[in-house]
Amino acid sequence: MRSKNVVYLILILGLLSVLNLTYAQDAPEVSEKGKEVYEESCAHCHGTEGRGDGSAAENLLPKPRDFTRGLYKIRSTESGQLPTDQDLFDIITEGMPGSSMPGWETSLSANDRWEVVAYIKTFYDGFKESETPPRQISLEGKIPYSEESVEIGKGLYTQFACFECHGQVGRGDGTSAPTLQDEWGFQSWPANLAQGWNFRGGNDIDDIYKRFIGGIAGSAMPMFEDPAFGLTIEQSIRYNELDNKVEMTEAEEEEYNQLDEKMGNAFEILDLMAEGSANEEQKQSYATAMKAFYEKSWHLANYVKSLSSEKRPEPAIGKNVLRSQYTESDLPQMMDAAWNTLDSSYFPLVGQIIIEPRQFNPTIDSVNAKSFYNDTEVAFLFTWDDRTNNTEVEENEDTGKTFEDAIAIQFPVKIPKGPTAEKPYFLWGGRKAVYLWQWKASAVDKITELTAKGINNAEEQEVQGNIEAKGEYTDGQYRLWVKRTLKTDDKKDLQLEPGVFVPIAFSAWDGANGDVGTKRVISSWYSFVLEPVPSSRRFIYPPLVALLSFGLLVGLREFVRQRNT
Amino acid sequence: MKRVSLFTICFAIFIACWVFLRFVIGSVISVPIPSSVISMYMGLVLIAILVHVSVEDSRFREFIRPIHETLVDENRKNRRIILAVLIPLLLLGYTYTNIAQKANPAGDPRVAHPVPPSEFKLTYKDKVIGTMQEVENPHRHLEKDKPEEFKSHVENGRRVYYDNCFYCHGDHLDGQGHFAHGLIPLPANFQDPGIIPNFQEAFFFWRISKGGPGLPPAGTPWNSAMPVWEEVLTEDEIWDVILFLSQYTGHSYRTFGEGH
Amino acid sequence: MKTKMLTCLTLLLACGFGLFVFADSHEKEEDMNKLVFSKEKYKTMAVKSGGKISGVVKFDGEVPEMKKLEITKDKAVCGVTDKFDEALVVGEGNVLKNTIVYLMDISQGKDFDKEAKPELDQKNCRFNPHVQIIPVGTALTVLNNDKATHNVHIFGTSKNNTSVNKQQTKNRKKMRLTGAKGAEGPVEVKCDIHGWMKAWVAYVPHPYFAVTNEKGEFTLEDVPPGEYKLGYWHEACGTNNKEPVTVTVAAGGEVKQDFTLKLKEAK
Repeated sequence: MRSKNVVYLILILGLLSVLNLTYAQDAPEVSEKGKEVYEESCAHCHGTEGRGDGSAAENLLPKPRDFTRGLYKIRSTESGQLPTDQDLFDIITEGMPGSSMPGWETSLSANDRWEVVAYIKTFYDGFKESETPPRQISLEGKIPYSEESVEIGKGLYTQFACFECHGQVGRGDGTSAPTLQDEWGFQSWPANLAQGWNFRGGNDIDDIYKRFIGGIAGSAMPMFEDPAFGLTIEQSIRYNELDNKVEMTEAEEEEYNQLDEKMGNAFEILDLMAEGSANEEQKQSYATAMKAFYEKSWHLANYVKSLSSEKRPEPAIGKNVLRSQYTESDLPQMMDAAWNTLDSSYFPLVGQIIIEPRQFNPTIDSVNAKSFYNDTEVAFLFTWDDRTNNTEVEENEDTGKTFEDAIAIQFPVKIPKGPTAEKPYFLWGGRKAVYLWQWKASAVDKITELTAKGINNAEEQEVQGNIEAKGEYTDGQYRLWVKRTLKTDDKKDLQLEPGVFVPIAFSAWDGANGDVGTKRVISSWYSFVLEPVPSSRRFIYPPLVALLSFGLLVGLREFVRQRNT
Repeated sequence: MKRVSLFTICFAIFIACWVFLRFVIGSVISVPIPSSVISMYMGLVLIAILVHVSVEDSRFREFIRPIHETLVDENRKNRRIILAVLIPLLLLGYTYTNIAQKANPAGDPRVAHPVPPSEFKLTYKDKVIGTMQEVENPHRHLEKDKPEEFKSHVENGRRVYYDNCFYCHGDHLDGQGHFAHGLIPLPANFQDPGIIPNFQEAFFFWRISKGGPGLPPAGTPWNSAMPVWEEVLTEDEIWDVILFLSQYTGHSYRTFGEGH
Repeated sequence: MKTKMLTCLTLLLACGFGLFVFADSHEKEEDMNKLVFSKEKYKTMAVKSGGKISGVVKFDGEVPEMKKLEITKDKAVCGVTDKFDEALVVGEGNVLKNTIVYLMDISQGKDFDKEAKPELDQKNCRFNPHVQIIPVGTALTVLNNDKATHNVHIFGTSKNNTSVNKQQTKNRKKMRLTGAKGAEGPVEVKCDIHGWMKAWVAYVPHPYFAVTNEKGEFTLEDVPPGEYKLGYWHEACGTNNKEPVTVTVAAGGEVKQDFTLKLKEAK
């Protein structure tokens, strides 16, 4: 019986090897289901062969992942390691915020997602060649979020040289930002740390920590190594202090050299560890140094977390509309502290993909606005993040594509009466005209009034007046202050009065992203209102009503009593 | 045991009705009922109660007895004082918050899927295709006649969709593309069972080819970010993407002949 | 019995399907720009009376003016010397620097020079050398001689597991990057922080590789007598993978083989 089985087994094996030889030349059909799901749901971006070159890929940035290189950005594994299957599954499930990769939880069953994981792994041989499972990043020793930790992290942000790409305050505006490319040669913008809702791998502290330790494979984001390896936090702060001194005393110099030597030794041990040739003592001091490094990384993660809100802010609709605040005095200037007393209204911007040439990969996320008005004038403060300050008016052949940054604020010329009344077309008007304020980064103190009846049909108003502006670019953010009189003599201008809701919309251009003309980011129609001065009636009517009701009650009692007697 | 007075019962019924309208129904249909509708119903409830108590004289007397007592009875002095303070105070608070409340802009009166005028002729650019009622998807018959060819049309529709539409309408056709968060009104959700089954393919052709600007005024054409796709896509591409929409979602378009 | 057999068969079939997916090989266009190695594992042996192959690589075509690189940041450190795009360095007499010349199909010969320690220097925000070869398994020592932070980004390829991207601040003068597991290349090395910094490294399985110097010269020594395919790679001019030159080396003999390269056709 048993021997018979063995014979069958050998026969079958033989048969299979023949089958294999003939089939091996054909397309693989391992996980039929995985392939099917992949081709139905993934291939239009990632390509049927997994090279990230599907038909939709052309207009996307970040580009869809090329699975043939084994480079995965969002991993729970150490630098240079492949992702775990769970990592791949999680990305498919949750998607990648700020990119065109959506979460698939609602449209693919967990089973299908696992099948897809198995299938995309077949695109890269390294998955089957690696003998050991990828080394995962340990989250041990996590330092809880606190103000002190954020403060320490802030110091480390500079020491770890994060600012080179992410900028001094983290808006992705570092001096290296414009030249960053991924390994496929595509533009790769560093994350704006103030917009955590766009972090591809999520904005939990753990997620942020994993990006430091593991790097973002294929992108310019390196695996972080402690620049003051082997030193404690206090020592590295001290080292930096001494390093920045123009002149050191003898004692200081000695201290500096000691720290320097300690660091040099630690770095040497780091290399030995990587080569696998460290002795026991070295391993010990490596472990101590790594512990300090992980501590520093947690502080840094806490700092990055502190830079942004968890979720995209609520857009300026409903109760969040932009309300201009009444003030009796003069309106605040651009840098006045008075602006800090107001909450910002958030206007999300998206690429203009209606009229050619289109912008499929916007770099400006949103505009924030605040406003004050008094009896004669209104002032606005607009802020928006842009990683680069581009002021060249013409495209510059030598330095590549740069146009100038700009913004346009759009209103109807005539405020539609009632909610059903026709508004101008939201994209710079049409049959009905819009009234625009256009500001450009090349002339920061100038604002131009335009009238437009279509995105390609705008003209400067002959009469420019009653309007002032001041703009500034600092640390990855534009700040634009605009002041105008509530009323003007020009029939082409918008006339403002308190309590009336006025449609407002935006267009913005990031020159470094090739924005020019119709290629821009846009918003839908929102509204803003000169919030009426809280009426003094609110102090008169309510007491009156109270008194009246009291009187009525007393009267009623008297009436009833009279009737009874 | 003390009998519960008629007034208390009526009052309790009144409150119960309000709670039911405001909270229970709202959570069942998962949309809160507008306050104007609630006020209307509460008015009816009030009238019903008044009618009920005033049908018989004795019942009416029974009903107003507690009110009467509270107003004049010497034993009810405490209650009287509390109410005399409380009622004016409540009214004071109510009027104050009403006056001081910030006004919000009126909601969008938009009709989501407005029908075209009855004499409407379906066109591609300037070419007249026919009336809404008679035009069918020229590739639809392939589904039965030549399944292979039909499949290739659906595939082409898929390509068209992911090259052009998914930015707003989303990978899952659920109206949640990565540009959707910046658009008012939101892009159409084709997974919604109230959309595809309610319209014919010709209607979709009209909406795709003419886009936002082609909407009648009720659809607020000035707000819609839907491009005029006949400027970009060929007639065949539009019909193919229409096939893809129903193929992907599993919803069938409405056809003529069935309940109209 | 029958059911048992069926189960067995199904299981095995499943395994078989699994296997032949792995048998699928992706031939890639980009491989045309890579070095070619013998499929056999290289064996070292003592080479007696080996021959020598030498020659000069020249450039054919109009020599474009070297493009000066724009120093966009850290000017105090990086801006002290002018830097040029080194993709095409042509010397007097049209000689071409930075060309890799090598034996494609050699499978046994001398051992690597064990003393050689490949180094990549970063000074004034420029990588030096621009092109180099690294024996498989040997660590690359990267020096930071700048008061600036660099990041050493060695690109990944389809064959070598993922890429290397390590930050190297001014505090770390020296760092060793452990060698690649497999032969492949050349791959790009970049400093993302200073976007203009670019170099190439090739991980090679045998020592019969040379990079041309300023005079365009190369020499391969101690070549065991025999017939070989001689290949080249150049950043801007591409490879001769499609039509390698065959040379015959006699014992103790010397073979001269010059090359004349043209710019790769733009895609």
